[in-house]
Amino acid sequence: MTEATTTIENKTGIHARPASLFVQTASKFKSKVQIKAKGKTVDAKSILMIMSMGLTKGTEITLSADGPDEADAVNTLKELVDNKFGEE
Amino acid sequence: MADKIKGKGVISGVAVGSILLAGQNLDSFLVNYQPGTKSAEQKKAANALMTVADNLKKTIEDMQAKGLKEQAGILEAHRLLIEDPAISEKVNEEIEETGNAPKAVLNAYEANAQMFEAMEDEYFRGRAVDMRDVGKRIAKHLLGIKEPEIAGKVIVAGKEIEPSVIAGLPTDKIAGVILGAGSTTAHAVIIAKTRAIPTVVGVGDAIEQMADGDPAILDGETGDILIRPSAKEREAYDEKIKKQEELKAHYAELKTLPAKTLDGKEVELVANIGSPADADAAIKNFGATGVGLFRSEFVFMGKQDIPQEEDQFKEYKAAVEKCATVTHGEGLCVIRTMDIGGDKPLPYIQVGEEENPFLGYRAIRISLQRRDLFMPQLKAILRAGVYGKAAIMFPMVINVSEFLAAKEFVEEAKRELVQEGKEYSDSVQVGIMVETPAAAVMAPVLAKYVDFFSIGTNDLVQYTLAVDRGNAQIAYLYNHFNPAVLRLIKRTIESANKEGKWAGMCGEMASDPNAAIILMAMGIKELSMSAPSIPKVKERIRNITSERAKEILDKVMEMEDGDKIKDYIATIS
Repeated sequence: MTEATTTIENKTGIHARPASLFVQTASKFKSKVQIKAKGKTVDAKSILMIMSMGLTKGTEITLSADGPDEADAVNTLKELVDNKFGEE
Repeated sequence: MADKIKGKGVISGVAVGSILLAGQNLDSFLVNYQPGTKSAEQKKAANALMTVADNLKKTIEDMQAKGLKEQAGILEAHRLLIEDPAISEKVNEEIEETGNAPKAVLNAYEANAQMFEAMEDEYFRGRAVDMRDVGKRIAKHLLGIKEPEIAGKVIVAGKEIEPSVIAGLPTDKIAGVILGAGSTTAHAVIIAKTRAIPTVVGVGDAIEQMADGDPAILDGETGDILIRPSAKEREAYDEKIKKQEELKAHYAELKTLPAKTLDGKEVELVANIGSPADADAAIKNFGATGVGLFRSEFVFMGKQDIPQEEDQFKEYKAAVEKCATVTHGEGLCVIRTMDIGGDKPLPYIQVGEEENPFLGYRAIRISLQRRDLFMPQLKAILRAGVYGKAAIMFPMVINVSEFLAAKEFVEEAKRELVQEGKEYSDSVQVGIMVETPAAAVMAPVLAKYVDFFSIGTNDLVQYTLAVDRGNAQIAYLYNHFNPAVLRLIKRTIESANKEGKWAGMCGEMASDPNAAIILMAMGIKELSMSAPSIPKVKERIRNITSERAKEILDKVMEMEDGDKIKDYIATIS
């Protein structure tokens, strides 16, 4: 299993558009991908679960992946979050 | 015999078409639904989810091809909400319980919608609407309710109509609009107005008497609506429709003629717009000679983040370029900076709860404190100025110091543009909207600093008379001919002229032909209105002498009562 921790930095947090980008990206990987935040862990391939976490700016999240492409999955998703979903 | 419904006509004209219901109620369909076995229902639900997601995918591709990135992004999120593993799980659970696929789908999305509503963050709370929208779409598919096909002209009807519904239909397809709610300032109505679509509001629950595809006639003047009219009833309207066509033809002739009095005094008639496309229609269809109010809110609304300078630049440039194509008149495009407050909160403008948003943190008050919002907008307008004639207008100014601070921002924006090596126009005029009594009273002082005034009568009347124009009980007090209002307007116009500046008007009063001649006599240079009003105002101006207009003004200024002025004005010729 690979893990990485980062913080949501884009102004409006993970709302509809960033959430869909995130899920689309996560779904490209075969590994099981999860997000851990605010003491909950959810499936990173479920937009509903992700949006239900209310990930606003400043929230710390841990990305974890388990499977054949786990390192790649975690790195790609972390980059997406760190680049503020290409918003700014 | 037809079903007769009476509402309040807000945009005149007779419309004939078939009813297209917006915001349908599914209850009656649910009652008649015959569910199969639980496993059959689960299979059906799974199929429906897949089909709706696929259809959505096609729509998204279409939108992307048309460059509608923002809308495509929202629908993409909708699509993922359908394909979500958590949803199919919840739907199956619900079917185990209710044995009814459409009901299960609605329940599943409703549960999620409620979860969103319980969230702290305002943006997420707002997403509950998306959840219900998606759930309804799938349930409709399961119930076999087809999205109505649009053949011929439609009359869009709904208790409330999302602005996107009207904005999303081609103009030539919409004959009329019927709104259950009573608001004349609903966004749907504002959009209908710029497109001159006959509209009736305030019909309440009468919407329930209508079904998709029902033939209907609507009279936007009287507020009468006939559902399933007989041939005879239909004929009774033929005369009115014929007259309407004749008037349209006459107005079309006026299009290229100047708004000049019989003795040659000219006033510029320009348009209030919300998007560059409106500017195009205003100039092409109604003969506007420019834009007196570009409401930049539309650039800000529906966005999750501050609109970028580049995106704003594109919008403003398009409008400025359109204005530059006019063959008569100045071709000026006046762009009002952001006029948003607590009544329309945006994810990136958190105003918080306010007792009275119209007297609160809004418009220039926000802009002056939010460099991150203000700078990109000013830079975008200055850059757009290169492509024609642009002007910047600040809303809600009450102090000279506010104008000076805003003007300093403009200078700073120019310096930044120089540093960034971007081209901009140094001749962009900078003025204010006079919409507070404070600004009107201080007009002689403000006039020294500004390039122009534009009188926003909707707010000026409301603030001067302390009358909420949305309040039906005191609506009779709302009168732009109230002598207090007329004195403030006259003072504003004269103050501008005295300093060699110009004054215009961009409120609803400008579209009143009788008000127009008084304003002209006061020395106004420009009248800005929703484009379809231009021909009737032009007609009035072209049939009077400036001498007669002056006589009327003098008489009006002597009168002491707003209602009497209104009565007098109605009788003059």
